[in-house]
Parts: sequence; C-alpha cells; structure tokens
Amino acid sequence: MLKVKDIEKKQKNKNRTLRYIEQWILEKGKASDLINGILIRPTDDVESLAVTLNQAPLIAFDFNNFDDGISYSQVKILRKRVGYKGEIRAINVHIDHLQFIFRSGVDSYELLPQYKKYNEDYGIDFSVCYQAAENNVGLLEKHRIY
Amino acid sequence: MYKYDEVDVNFINQRSNQFTKQVERYFDNELDDDQFRSIRLRNGLYQELHAYMLRVAIPYGTINSKQLVQLAHIADKYDRGYGHFTTRQNIQFNWIKLSQITEIIADLAKVDMHAIQTSGKVMRNITADPLSGIREDEVADARPYCELIRQWFTVHPEFSWLPGKFKIAINGSERDEIGLQFHDLGLQVVLNDDNELGFSVYVGGGLGAAPMLAPNIKSFVPEQDILSYIESVLRVYNLIGQRSNDKRLRIKFLVKKLGIERFSELVERDWLASKGDDDIKLNAVKLNKIKQEFSLPIEPIKSITNNTTVDFNYSIWKNNNVISNKIDGYSIVYISLSQLGSAPGNIYSDQLIQLSKLASSYSLGEVRTTKKQDVVLPYVRNQDLYVLWQQLELFDLSSPHNSTLAHIVACPGADYCSLAKTESISVAQRVQQRLNENGILFETGELGLHISGCENSCAHHHVADIGLLGLNKGEENFYQITLGGGTKHKTVLGKKIGRAVSSDNVIDAVEKIVGVYIKNRKPDENFNQVFNRIGIQLFKESVYA
Repeated sequence: MLKVKDIEKKQKNKNRTLRYIEQWILEKGKASDLINGILIRPTDDVESLAVTLNQAPLIAFDFNNFDDGISYSQVKILRKRVGYKGEIRAINVHIDHLQFIFRSGVDSYELLPQYKKYNEDYGIDFSVCYQAAENNVGLLEKHRIY
Repeated sequence: MYKYDEVDVNFINQRSNQFTKQVERYFDNELDDDQFRSIRLRNGLYQELHAYMLRVAIPYGTINSKQLVQLAHIADKYDRGYGHFTTRQNIQFNWIKLSQITEIIADLAKVDMHAIQTSGKVMRNITADPLSGIREDEVADARPYCELIRQWFTVHPEFSWLPGKFKIAINGSERDEIGLQFHDLGLQVVLNDDNELGFSVYVGGGLGAAPMLAPNIKSFVPEQDILSYIESVLRVYNLIGQRSNDKRLRIKFLVKKLGIERFSELVERDWLASKGDDDIKLNAVKLNKIKQEFSLPIEPIKSITNNTTVDFNYSIWKNNNVISNKIDGYSIVYISLSQLGSAPGNIYSDQLIQLSKLASSYSLGEVRTTKKQDVVLPYVRNQDLYVLWQQLELFDLSSPHNSTLAHIVACPGADYCSLAKTESISVAQRVQQRLNENGILFETGELGLHISGCENSCAHHHVADIGLLGLNKGEENFYQITLGGGTKHKTVLGKKIGRAVSSDNVIDAVEKIVGVYIKNRKPDENFNQVFNRIGIQLFKESVYA
C-alpha cells in the first residue's frame, strides 16, 4: 500500500511563494530567496498556457473547496498533455481528498492545518483500485487482471 | 451474472472501512455538516424528513438470491421491514439511523453489495434494459459494458468530484426500454458498416425542471475506445461545467450553452489526444473475458405442458406478465410490486425472502429490477410457470397488471423525501381507488401513470403516458399534467396539457383523461397510439371543461 512518506520525498521546493500566472510573469527573473511558483485558478485554461507553465519550477492547485474537483482534470492535462516536468503541488488539502490527490499526478501536498494531528497514512484507505492513473504506486489495478 | 473476485471484495471492504472512519470523525465534530454531506452522499446516504435514507446499488438492475435475503435482513434489522425499488433499478431504505450505517454497509459487503456512488456529484449506477442478454433483437448484451464502465469510474481519481450527478444508460437492443436520451450520457450499441461493434453516443439529456433529450454527438465509437471517449466527455464537463449555479449543474446545461457542435468538437479534441493511451484501450482479451462473465446460463429445452387446469386468474397473469425468452423453452416473468393500497416499488422483507426462494427455484437465482419499480425473473422454464404463479399468489406478488394503471410509478414524495414538494404515493392510491370504484382500473390496457413529487423527476413523469409533477403554489399543492411521453422505441417527452390542477382536482383530471382515452380507442390501441392519433385537444377540453 502507498505510504505518505513516498510522496513527501518529492517535495523539492520547501520554501515557496505562489503567484497567479499574470503576476508570476511580471516577477519572473527578479532575485528572491523563495522559489516562485504559479497558482492555477479554476478558470485557467492549462493547455493554452503551456509555454509559460513549462518555465515554472513549481505549479500549485488549491483544493480548499471540498466539493470541487476541477483541479484534478487540470492536473491531468498539465502532466499528460502539456508534458510539464516540474513539481506539481496541491495546497489546502483535505485529508479525505488525499487518495485522489496522490493518484492524480500531484508530486507534493500541503494539508490544511486542521488535519496535522492525523497519522500520516490516515487518508490511505485502499490497496486496490479499478483504473489506471498517473500514480498507482502500491495499488493493485483491477483492469490489469483482465 | 458477474461474480466478485478478490479485488472487488477488497475494494468494497476498504471503502466500508474508510466510510466508518469518516462517520466517526463526523460524530467527533471533526467533519462539518457540508463536508460530511458530500462524503455520505457518495456512499448513498441522504438525510430525509424523518430519518436517513440509504440507496443501495443494484448495478444495471441485476441481483441474486443471496443478496435479496441480505436486503430482507437489512429491512428487518435496521429499517421498518421493507425497502423501496427505485426508478433507476436500485433499492433504498427510508428509516435508517446514522449510528447504524457502518454496520449496514458492512452487512451489504458480506454479499458483494454496496452503496458507492448511488448519490452525490459522481457517476451514478449505470442502468440497462432489464431484459439485456435475453432479447431477440439485441445487437449485443449491454451488461458487460455496464460492468466495465462501472468499474473504471468507481472512485476514479479524476472524476469523483464533478459539477453535478452523472447518469449513464446503455442499451443493446433496438427497442429503448431505458429512456436512453433522458440520461446525461446514453450509449446505444451499434454495428458499423464493417460489422464492428461500437456505440452511438448521446450526451446532455435529463428530466427535472428543464427536460431535454440528449442529442447524438458521435455516431460511432469503437467498443475498444469507449472508456477514453467517456473520459473525454467527463473531462470537458469537469473543466467547464457550470458549478456556480445550483440550478445549472448538469451536463445538459453545458451542452445547451455551448451548442451541440461546439461541445462535440471539444470532446473530439480531447479524445484524439487521449484515446491512444494503452492503459485505457480495451483489447479483445479484456472484452472477451468480461463478456464471458455474462454468458447466458441456459440452453434451449423442449417445453412440456403439464398444466391442464383452467384457471382464469393464471391466464390473465400469464397474458400480462409473461413473455418469451429468446432461448426456446424459457419465459421471462414480470412481478409487479405496485399493489393497490401500497407505495409503488415497496417490497416487504417476507416478499424479499420469497422472491429469493423463487429466483433460486425457478430462475437460476437471478432477478432483474426495472425502471418501472418492478422485478423480473429472467430464466423461468415454461413448464414451471403455473407453479411459480401459485407461489407468487401466496405472497401478494402475483398482481396481473403489468403496464396497466394498476401499476403506477411514483417517487417517495413528501411522505419521505426532503426535496419533494407534494405527495406522490397517496395520489397513486387515490387514482387507483377511484378508477377501481368506477370499474375501469383493469380496463385500460397498457397505460402508464408516473407521479413525481418535485422537479427532480425521480418518477420519470416526462416519459409517461400520463405524467404528474407536484408543485407548490403558496400553501396549496398542484400537479402539472403531461401526456404522450414514452420510451418504447425512442424517448419522447410528454406535452403539458395546460395549467396545473389542484390536489383536490387531480384525481378527477386523471379520470377524465382515462375516459377520453377509453372512449376514443380502437381495438388493440394503447394510450400512446390514441394520443398520437387524436392529439391533445380532446384531453384538454375534458380536463378544463
């Protein structure tokens, strides 16, 4: 079964600052101790922003809205179609979303403060899954049995 | 019938454990009401007027004897001794205590059942013709595709938090018994010019306040590419579906807003970029393996006539409730759960047990559920029909009025549902009582009356011969009447007859409509045929005279 520590190791950019894409373009190249990343909004068309996004070392998605899954498709497009090779981070993550976050192709995550007390593997409930995904490490995929 | 393997069993047990932890966190105030609502709905649990309601999945309406016994156990132990078959082939229990929900889910898992994705903004239970696999005119059995698609989209990492609910129906027959075009996604199994199997795809249908028939967006998707095509539809919906307006959440509003051409273009573009992915392509080995799971368990046999007794009740029942199976020597038996004086679709625990026994004895342990809230025994030997009927008689399951007005489809309505604006069950009972008193209840022939207690349209009133939709106007309850809907050969939405009628007058109105139909029908004509021939005017004049 996948362990949280496996994904934590991928968090390369510890100290970060996030900007929406327009602001990020303006600030690009300015000296800073922080790693500048782009924060994607639900309305951003990831595919059409490919050239700029591929220049950023870190791209973040905000998962604070418990009931909104738009970011999962944006992450998919960023990784598969844009071919982004940098770090994709999920911020404001609810622990109940962790299993989806892990599998969607996100590299690192920041839990919302209220979940800090949980055991790190709390959100990992499954050892099996039904479909291929960007990251199924530790999971037995049913469709491969066919 | 599909049998769970180790992966399936593990999966539902792990999901059950996960939900147990989430319920405990809710009790400890560590999940707020909105978060818990989102989670519990994804596990089939609604909070209704008097209690919680649990909707249990019956994938594509197929259930076995063992599972029926467990449903009886759940009805007795955790509910009030009965369950309610829904119009999407599931079963729900209306008197559930939250403190017992994890026990119930665990009990369901013991017989390979669950409530995963039976509600919430996810892909819901996939529905299919209850006669899938046993119809003469089928291009192919829809059930293997239903099962593959069900599996692929169960707790899918990309599509588990959609803008709105997403309902799929798959039809393998030329006859459309499932209302393909009133689903978010309808898949019609077809053959192309090279005799290859695939799907004609309809997207953006729905009932509710703004009923829409799904337009065809792709005439042929090869069967091996169906998962990637559905993913592309869902991706477009997930990315640009309208989340900000609660009344515009369904995909039909996106299709309407963009137009069919633009929507199809976006799906096509996404599909061209993703369909080549080997992980999502279905190869012949996978397809054949899943198809084998659904191979027919019967072979032709010679019929033996062993009933020489003349029994008029049996003859009426057989005439209305029994049709031929495509395999010689076998029949398909409809069991109506719409009894005079009881809520349509309700089934008591003793009836579930009896049904289980009869399915084991006479139908290889298999039962199908239908969108008309009744059940079907698919594999009954012709020589067993009389004995089966006698057994059904003992448990009030032999109503011989399949597809007549004695078999009304109704949602739970304001008696149970927190969304409902008006009662549905009592209207069904009042209609049946009135027409029975007047001696015409059993004289109507094939005639469907569907009653929805609100615009969510759970009783599919838009596609009924006579549809009633409950509305509130101030303190008073009214019913909007539609006529001439149907799903027999293609989906047709009923036409509004005029202004809504009050609750006091709705029974009179239905009686008048039935009166116009009986007066004008020619021999062998059903309601739909009469309506199409004479139009709406005579009905309108009669109701508003």
